[in-house]
Amino acid sequence: MRLFIILVLGLYLAGCTKPEPLYNTQSYVFGTLVDITIYGEPESRAQEISNQIIHDFQDLHNRLHAWRPSELKTLNDEFSRGSTPVTIAPDIAAMLGDATKLSIQSKGSFNPAIGELIEAWGFHHDEFKSIKIDENKIKNLVQANPQMTDIVIENGKVFSKNPNVQLDLGGYAKGYALDIALAYLRNQGVKNALVNIGGNIIALGKHGKLPWRVGIQHPRKPNAIATLDLESGWAIGTSGDYQRYFELDGKRYCHIIDPATGYPAQGVQAVTVLISPQNNAGTLSDVASKPIFIAKPDARAKAAKTMGVENFLVIESADKILVSTAMVKRITWLDKDAAKHALQIQP
Amino acid sequence: MRFKFNHNPKPLPGDWLVIITSLALVIVMFQQFWSFEHASKLKIRQGNQVIGTYDLNQKRELHIKGKIGESIISIEQGKVRFKQSPCHNQYCVHQGWLSLAGQVAICLPNQISLQLIGVKSTYDSLNY
Repeated sequence: MRLFIILVLGLYLAGCTKPEPLYNTQSYVFGTLVDITIYGEPESRAQEISNQIIHDFQDLHNRLHAWRPSELKTLNDEFSRGSTPVTIAPDIAAMLGDATKLSIQSKGSFNPAIGELIEAWGFHHDEFKSIKIDENKIKNLVQANPQMTDIVIENGKVFSKNPNVQLDLGGYAKGYALDIALAYLRNQGVKNALVNIGGNIIALGKHGKLPWRVGIQHPRKPNAIATLDLESGWAIGTSGDYQRYFELDGKRYCHIIDPATGYPAQGVQAVTVLISPQNNAGTLSDVASKPIFIAKPDARAKAAKTMGVENFLVIESADKILVSTAMVKRITWLDKDAAKHALQIQP
Repeated sequence: MRFKFNHNPKPLPGDWLVIITSLALVIVMFQQFWSFEHASKLKIRQGNQVIGTYDLNQKRELHIKGKIGESIISIEQGKVRFKQSPCHNQYCVHQGWLSLAGQVAICLPNQISLQLIGVKSTYDSLNY
């Protein structure tokens, strides 16, 4: 009994410790919510660093905007006009080079050159509406076969061999921004931080003594389906059919378009990938979920392997959930139904 | 009248009943409130500003001016929802009622977010 009293007292005392050195700020960039948490820095410094990160994000977003005047839009306009080389900023050239490699690795299912298709589906608007599907137009845009490999970058100049190449870095830029933010935080000597751009998250250090913990959103319920510890340098990203979509004749059309068919991918609600620490972990957390999302049901594990992803979770429907053997060890289910329906698969 | 205390170290059947019931109660409550803890507070943000932190246990309607217009947020004894929004797709309204710690509803067009807070947060950030 005495031990019990001591324990209870201990718990009460633990509740009296001083507030955590935790700073959190939110902002809207990349058409989504950016949430930055910094642990263990004085508030003024945490605020200064967060502001700089948000400023850099805003700058990147302005330069890469796919449908408002931007550096990327200028390149797209030049591509459609002909193959005259135009000047390109070194960092954007590097991004395009990297995106091309990832596109090749994904065998074309990650393809940031299909801007025209995304536009045709009406997703090039802040507030998109359901469209009338123009089958012929979609067929023609697929046949035009715009590929990242059509882009030629030489001596600081760029041109496209295919006038139908229209860049849309919507599935790349947010992840890339996470890598930029992580590099900046490290450079500033910040030891612990968590950066979330529209659900894509990268971790640095810990939340005090414990690792950062993230919740994975349920694609159809307003709560988390599971949680996991995001250790330092790891990144997590989800492609879902519930963030940007419209419904037409009772069918859901999401913003993730299969470049091979020109139609939004069907039959899956969410794909989450967890990426181990590496130079472009953030980028991969954004990019690598797409090929798995687009793949045919029996080819998802293969698509994950092609992208070098060991940890992934695929929610096809309420009663069909696939989770890789590596991932199953990392997640804690919050949703009991989900836990019951989860099947392990070996990538 | 004097009470006679039983100093027998062996617990009586009634003691066992109390011990077992308490243990069962602890287990049930742990399962109920550990993973899905009910939120006690609501944090509303507009853009990068915290509009305020509100007690969830009340009945109240808040009118918040956002980027494109006014959103109506309804708090009702432990739960909250976007009741009305000027946005086109109405994803925020369709999210429905939120009541658990860690739950988040965001209206991107109007740049308003609702975040439910409990005594202990289940996670630091949400992947969606």
